[in-house]
Amino acid sequence: MPLFLKKIIMTGLLSTLGNLVYAEVVVVVPNESPIQELTSLQLSDIYLGRLTQLPGGEPVRPIDQTEQTPAHGEFYQQYLGRTPAQIRSHWSRLIFTGRGQPPKAVRSNDDMARELSRNPNTIGYMAPEAVPDSLRILTIGS
Amino acid sequence: MDSRTLPETNNSTVSTRLSMKQLPAIRLSHVLLIVSFIALPVRGDVTAPSWNINGFGTLGVAHSDEDQADFTTGLLADEGAGYSDEWSLKVDSKVGVQLTANFASKFKAVLQVVSEQGHDGSFDPQIEWANVSYDITPELTVRIGRTVQPSFMTSEYRKVGYANPTVRPPAEVYNLVPVTNSDGIDVSYQSRFNEVTNTLHLLFGKKTTDLPDGFEMESDDSFTLANTLEWRDTTLFAAYSQTDLTVDVLTPFFNGFRAFGPEGEYIADRFDLDDTTVRIISLGGRYDPGTWFILGEWANNRSRSFVGEHRGWYLTGGVRIASLTPYLTFADQRAKGDLSHPGLPFPQAQPLNETLNLLLSQNTSDQSRIAVGARWDFAPSVALKVQYDRIDLRRGTRGVLSNTQPGFEGDEPVSVFSTTVDFVF
Repeated sequence: MPLFLKKIIMTGLLSTLGNLVYAEVVVVVPNESPIQELTSLQLSDIYLGRLTQLPGGEPVRPIDQTEQTPAHGEFYQQYLGRTPAQIRSHWSRLIFTGRGQPPKAVRSNDDMARELSRNPNTIGYMAPEAVPDSLRILTIGS
Repeated sequence: MDSRTLPETNNSTVSTRLSMKQLPAIRLSHVLLIVSFIALPVRGDVTAPSWNINGFGTLGVAHSDEDQADFTTGLLADEGAGYSDEWSLKVDSKVGVQLTANFASKFKAVLQVVSEQGHDGSFDPQIEWANVSYDITPELTVRIGRTVQPSFMTSEYRKVGYANPTVRPPAEVYNLVPVTNSDGIDVSYQSRFNEVTNTLHLLFGKKTTDLPDGFEMESDDSFTLANTLEWRDTTLFAAYSQTDLTVDVLTPFFNGFRAFGPEGEYIADRFDLDDTTVRIISLGGRYDPGTWFILGEWANNRSRSFVGEHRGWYLTGGVRIASLTPYLTFADQRAKGDLSHPGLPFPQAQPLNETLNLLLSQNTSDQSRIAVGARWDFAPSVALKVQYDRIDLRRGTRGVLSNTQPGFEGDEPVSVFSTTVDFVF
């Protein structure tokens, strides 16, 4: 087998393995948020644009991180089992049928904390060591 | 029903009348858009409208080994791979730009323009979507203007290559509908029970589509009822559509039959497309747990015209291995109509009989197809796809091919090789 083919295959294998070793990302809400816990299906529906209000009727607005942040890929792999490309395909279907725009995306954990502090009905994600006192980590049930 | 059903015409004489004729069809949407852009922000809402510009496109090249016919994507495409060009850039290449404006939380306006190969070979931009929508309640949305008919599961985003796993929507199902959008009103109701999201979609409208040489295809009283159910990784889709179709290019031909009296009228009424109701039923499903997916659709179209009845289905499955997604498609289309008709028993009617039989034989597309391909998401928002299609034509028909030449025999499987780069921005 030519060397370059081997290289391509190895790169593919490594990136597959890389996806299996998650750096942990936690889901956060503002302290004053009415949300106490979420199921993983509710979380995934919120981030896919299918769920805009909770069963109690409270609106919920997801905040995303841009694709350049390490948290982005980790969040979607860990909680939704989807790659960034799959998420972009999903939003393409909604954008180009006029049905929706993807969540607002911030560039860092700090920006995420700032954005969430502005609105109690928001939800976001970040690295656990970056969570400030104004936010609380949400338990995601199965 | 598609361009293959129409007598072959000389496309070089498409007149400037066409562009004039497009005006009335888009005027309603334009007016609505302008009114909405100007009027909505002053309706007591203090937040400024938010604007989004998005786009999508495909750069593709396709090769067909059948040199006596063209492989095309759109029903009304002028040229394709094979007879016209051994390697064709026109089959899959396109670009679309969309402007979305949100006024307050309830009003929205969407304008999408797509440039792809049209019936005259040009890539003149066409308005795909142009509507204003209003959320009466969070669940109930009304749209007025031009919308794409949800006749099939992926109809509304079939042109966005990036949003689809394969190079192009399977023609065995997607070519069963002659008209893909309409100008009118559209109501959707989205409800949620426990974990299930259900969207019921109702659409009324009409549309005039330009054909070569200044002719038109009119689609009146179009009606589509579609339902999409989403639960976890599963999507289920069902739709019923009907439209009253008139193709004016055929009127003189069928009037020729009518001139022969009751027997001729009987044939004309049996086969013409003059306010003829075309009905389409479709069922589809998708299961996508993330690391692999399977999707498929079945559809049936029916009318009492030379178009007759067709049944099509496809099944596509793929596996995601890192950024690579190899996939496999099986597809089939069967025509239930006759390939020929004896016509009128008069010697003077012979040319008419021959044309009728040409219409019948050229409209009947009976084929099976197997495709293998792979998608490679090699960079953010860009995907490279390669696909090989083997098309088996049946009953001596030309299947999805167009521009068939006198030397076309259709007894050999046709191989099509395609590669595309799809992007969104």
